[in-house]
Amino acid sequence: MASVLAQLEQSGLATWIHESGLLYGYPLILFLHTLGLSTVVGLNVAIDLRLLGVASRVPLASLDKVFGLLWAGFGVTAVTGVLLFVADATKHASNPAFFVKLAFVGGGVTIVALLRRRVFHGGEHGRFLAAASLGCWFVALTAGRLMAYVSEFIS
Amino acid sequence: MNLAHVHLLLNHVPTIGFGFGIGLLVASLVRDSADLRRASYVVFFVVALVAIPTYLSGNAADFVLRTQPELLQDVVTAHQNAAMLALIPMEIVGLVSWLALWQSRRWHQPAVLALSIVTFVLMARAANIGGQIRHPEIVAAGTAASAPSWPSPAAMGAAFVLDHPWVWPICEVFHFVGLCLLFGVTLLVNLRLAGFISGFPLADLNRLLPWAVAGLGINIVTGMLFFLAAPEQYTQNSAFTWKMGLVLLGGLSLLYPTMFDEEPDSAFDILHAAMTRRLIGVCSLVIWIAVIFFGRFLPYLGTE
Repeated sequence: MASVLAQLEQSGLATWIHESGLLYGYPLILFLHTLGLSTVVGLNVAIDLRLLGVASRVPLASLDKVFGLLWAGFGVTAVTGVLLFVADATKHASNPAFFVKLAFVGGGVTIVALLRRRVFHGGEHGRFLAAASLGCWFVALTAGRLMAYVSEFIS
Repeated sequence: MNLAHVHLLLNHVPTIGFGFGIGLLVASLVRDSADLRRASYVVFFVVALVAIPTYLSGNAADFVLRTQPELLQDVVTAHQNAAMLALIPMEIVGLVSWLALWQSRRWHQPAVLALSIVTFVLMARAANIGGQIRHPEIVAAGTAASAPSWPSPAAMGAAFVLDHPWVWPICEVFHFVGLCLLFGVTLLVNLRLAGFISGFPLADLNRLLPWAVAGLGINIVTGMLFFLAAPEQYTQNSAFTWKMGLVLLGGLSLLYPTMFDEEPDSAFDILHAAMTRRLIGVCSLVIWIAVIFFGRFLPYLGTE
């Protein structure tokens, strides 16, 4: 396992991310990761608030289109996330905050799919799912943001 | 032109702007005019936004001037603390004014009036001490400016962040929470403005707007704590200057869905409103994306 991670870290891709300069290397990937995650989490929070009764006059059918953008945001976040992982594979793989983040992102994304099927197309009220979604994204965001501090702390 | 120059351009806006806002609010009470009242709330909200870059550019001016031996450093510190003491109630007035614009309630009126007068006095005091920085001829004997009896929130904020290692990471977490609230809600509103989603009146999204403003508020507070703890990391970085300019524009763009959400009735108005809304929706979206861009690039760009 350790050798695979080290190999990833020394791959041409990892070197490119670290060394290709300002506008298309690490900072750009980090920006796209942030933009993607704020689209996913932000839109999902807005949908959750709607399901919890804020702006309840907005018809759910009108918001169905938003899921396309949400998944596009998730695609950007996932691809850039893989690139960021490859760039520092051993560091992230030894960071418990990273796995907490992955688990709760998994939870959050699963809830998005469930919301679409059960609430938007199935007619459930979705209040429980909306609350769980807010919780998942809060933990994922916290763990993700604290990754740098946790890795500093354990090393 | 440097940021010290920007500070000189902006530094009269908070005091004079608030004086103007108070004048409008008093006039609205005398005339019982809803339009004047709304105008005064707009002035308070806009001035509260402009006060933020005014404060931040003050630190940059301090950095520019620090090399000059004749500078009265204790007056600068007193000015900075007085400015923060005025900035806090000013942001509260800005927030309450936004709430009053969002949902016209009568009770806001006396609250805003009382608080804005207190803020005006505190800001005038800050401006007065600021004037002494370059005008030693007006400093009273014994520098009343540095009298220790006034609270000094700028120094307290910096000490709070620097003395507790957990504060910075926790603020970063909440800066992202605020970002997601602000970006998510404004994204949905902007998608509606731009016509990407439709099928309901814009006013139906009204109830979501306070969540965006809450996100903006969280980020102003957490962002200010970062700034107080490490001002030079930000004042010496042009990406931060861009980010703050864009935050100001983004904050202003919040006024549109807050104030102009009635559905147009005549055919001309429908066409006109559709074009205006599309333009504002797209601009606001681009502004917030650019804010995230400059925020994320802050450690990489703009550090010469």
